Amino acid sequence: MMHELYGFLRGPMLWVALLVFFGGSGYRVAAMWRLARKKDAVIFNYSSGYYALRSIFHWLLPFGSRNMRNHPVMTVVAFVFHICLFLVPLFLSAHIILIKESWNVSWPWLPDHAADAMTWMVVAGCGFFAARRIIQPDVRYLTSTSDYLILAAIAVPFVSGTWAFHQWPAFPAATLVHMASAEILLMIIPFTRLSHMLFFPFTRGYMGSEFGAVRKARDW
Amino acid sequence: MTKSLPTDLAVIPDKGVDGAAARLTPERVARVIQILLAEEGGARLKVYTETCVHCGLCSEACHFYLSNDKDPRFAPAAKVKQTLDPMIRKNGRVSVDFMKKACEIAFTECNLCRRCVMYCPFGIDISYLMLFVRRICHRLGMVPQYIQDTAHSHSATLNQMWVKEDEWIDTLQWQEDEARDEIPDLRIPLEKQGADVMYSVIGPEPKFRAQLIYQAAVIMHAAGVDWTMPATPGWDNSDMCMYTGDSEMMARLKKVHFETAMRLKTKRIVMGECGHAFRSVYDVGNRHLGWKMPPLPMVHAIEFYYELFRDGKLSLAKKYDVPLTLHDPCNVVRGRGLHEMARFVIHKTCTTFIEMHPNREHNYCCGAGGGVINCGPPYAKKRVEGNRVKADQLAAAKAKGARVIIAPCHNCHGGLEDIVKYYELDMEIKFLGDIIYECIEKGEVDS
Amino acid sequence: MIKHKLSYRKQKIFSGVAVFVFFLLILALRAFSTDYIETVDDPAFEKRIRPAVVFYHDDHNDRAGIDDCSVCHHVYENGIKTADMSVGMACSDCHMSGPAAAPDLIRVYHLQCRGCHLSEQAGPVTCGGCHKK
Repeated sequence: MMHELYGFLRGPMLWVALLVFFGGSGYRVAAMWRLARKKDAVIFNYSSGYYALRSIFHWLLPFGSRNMRNHPVMTVVAFVFHICLFLVPLFLSAHIILIKESWNVSWPWLPDHAADAMTWMVVAGCGFFAARRIIQPDVRYLTSTSDYLILAAIAVPFVSGTWAFHQWPAFPAATLVHMASAEILLMIIPFTRLSHMLFFPFTRGYMGSEFGAVRKARDW
Repeated sequence: MTKSLPTDLAVIPDKGVDGAAARLTPERVARVIQILLAEEGGARLKVYTETCVHCGLCSEACHFYLSNDKDPRFAPAAKVKQTLDPMIRKNGRVSVDFMKKACEIAFTECNLCRRCVMYCPFGIDISYLMLFVRRICHRLGMVPQYIQDTAHSHSATLNQMWVKEDEWIDTLQWQEDEARDEIPDLRIPLEKQGADVMYSVIGPEPKFRAQLIYQAAVIMHAAGVDWTMPATPGWDNSDMCMYTGDSEMMARLKKVHFETAMRLKTKRIVMGECGHAFRSVYDVGNRHLGWKMPPLPMVHAIEFYYELFRDGKLSLAKKYDVPLTLHDPCNVVRGRGLHEMARFVIHKTCTTFIEMHPNREHNYCCGAGGGVINCGPPYAKKRVEGNRVKADQLAAAKAKGARVIIAPCHNCHGGLEDIVKYYELDMEIKFLGDIIYECIEKGEVDS
Repeated sequence: MIKHKLSYRKQKIFSGVAVFVFFLLILALRAFSTDYIETVDDPAFEKRIRPAVVFYHDDHNDRAGIDDCSVCHHVYENGIKTADMSVGMACSDCHMSGPAAAPDLIRVYHLQCRGCHLSEQAGPVTCGGCHKK
């Protein structure tokens, strides 16, 4: 059972997950692009590379916008959360070794204790966001069940991953949970609000273009 | 949830909205929403509504939210949650009562000031989404009566205030007469072909504030500007149809305005101190006509005054010495970045300038723009109480000594007047033109 | 179902006891033996990122029924496995020569161990299954 599941999650399921993630992301962006061409030609007419990048830069820079300075705790948590969320899966030694096994390519990895600490930052970030959704009235009003599910979808692969790393009780099962939940996470990114990952450069860039090129004003 | 439902759905009585509600059926509502989502809802609508992660970082950008003790329902994203989200989720199958509430939110709880756009990490354009709701309301015939009346006036007379053609000309000649008492050789040139500048104003200027035309004529005269005003419809640059969701009528208004300038063969349009009209001419109306940018150069009064002072066209008889502050209007600051030019003019003409905080692009909205003040008396109390934060901001500037507020926008003027009165701030509100008129050398003065 | 579970639990207890006895035996054996292999502790790895793999060479081969040393201690010629064996050589002699680095050696270890475990449907396959803390 263990071997079959492992083989399935490591083999065909991983391919499915990667396909759905990359294919789905490509499809979502392409479909949106086509729709924009048809219905929102305005986006292309007013797009300006310089002003789009200027806006994106200010919003990717920690404390680069006024709103980030207004909410320092949220800013720090959000940046740490997102940075760790990207770095840990891509630069974890165990992941790189697995990729090395499959495709014989590798790249430098993070020290394991650092990756572990970063994993806990992601989990803590999920906790912070969840708490914020519960405690802060305006965020609670906006929150729907799916917002909590998305946080859980991110927390589960990270918790189970570190569970497997520390070899806590039943860690072989945790390893399988880790693999399965991470594959699910990858697959839902293009089709849920997690797609903000795909659309951020477009929405921010468009608004930056409108504010910069047409309205001659800042938008950060 | 069920307990709070009655208050959630409580709407302010309005003849226009209630009348429409009485005529509408849920089937008709669903059909109209479905048509609009399919025909006009494109990638922006989809991405904006699907990307919002409900983080609430926009909340504190909104003066309605801040002023209503941070009531979550007034957060910008919450306004989408209460209007567009259910319409999209249920594919238009919402009740008529739901539409009444959605109509009230979109028309009277959002000034389309775009401050929240600057606070959203994704740059989600809430004002675009609220305008989409207004567009749905318009197609349902469900628009607050007062603003719909101005839209009717636009469609019947091509101006906002039911001003008839002869009344318009008469008003200009009356102001010219008045001004000639002060400056004998002053003219308000009508229908002059090939002038450098066509000066256009909003409907309420000839209707209620004719002295602004007088002042503008004095400034033009003193600066030696080659200018003219049209004698035909097309003189009004204002546009409430942009705010009622009547895009077709908006385009028609802008077309007449541009064509009037082209008929007069002017080199450019200069418009009075109005914000929404600027947005309509510079940013929105031109797009509906297929012009990427306005077909001929058009500048707002702030920029025009800035040029006059920069080029030394005006000389000062005195400086305005009452300490004052500046309210940055959304449509010419977030909409055109004119804040530094306004400060340049103020520093030229005034002795003591006190910044209010926040300022420039981050200034709080006046609470009147976006057609909200035009929705009329039924919503006035809600509007003024929904902008307590502006009163606090003004009070802080007053505490530093400011006694006059410069608001280079008609809507801001109206909104701030209500706020100053309601919160008993005892401050005076002026246009930039008022100050300039008061301070410049006017040329030959008949003594 | 429940009955089955109970008996399964018993089985587990039994196997637990067996493992314990087994350990004792090994400890006893160790006292007499100097070359009994119980870890894969390749000196080619200068810096360890995981605990050395627990590997009881003879027990593994007994249980796996491997008599032919060349199954693991293989020799390849032109990409074809020969009957020769490489007992006595370090894996790194071949697998970390030339430009190859630690990840290359890790890779072949993993492919060899986990690859066989997967195809034989026996033995650990997860990271912690071998790199026991």
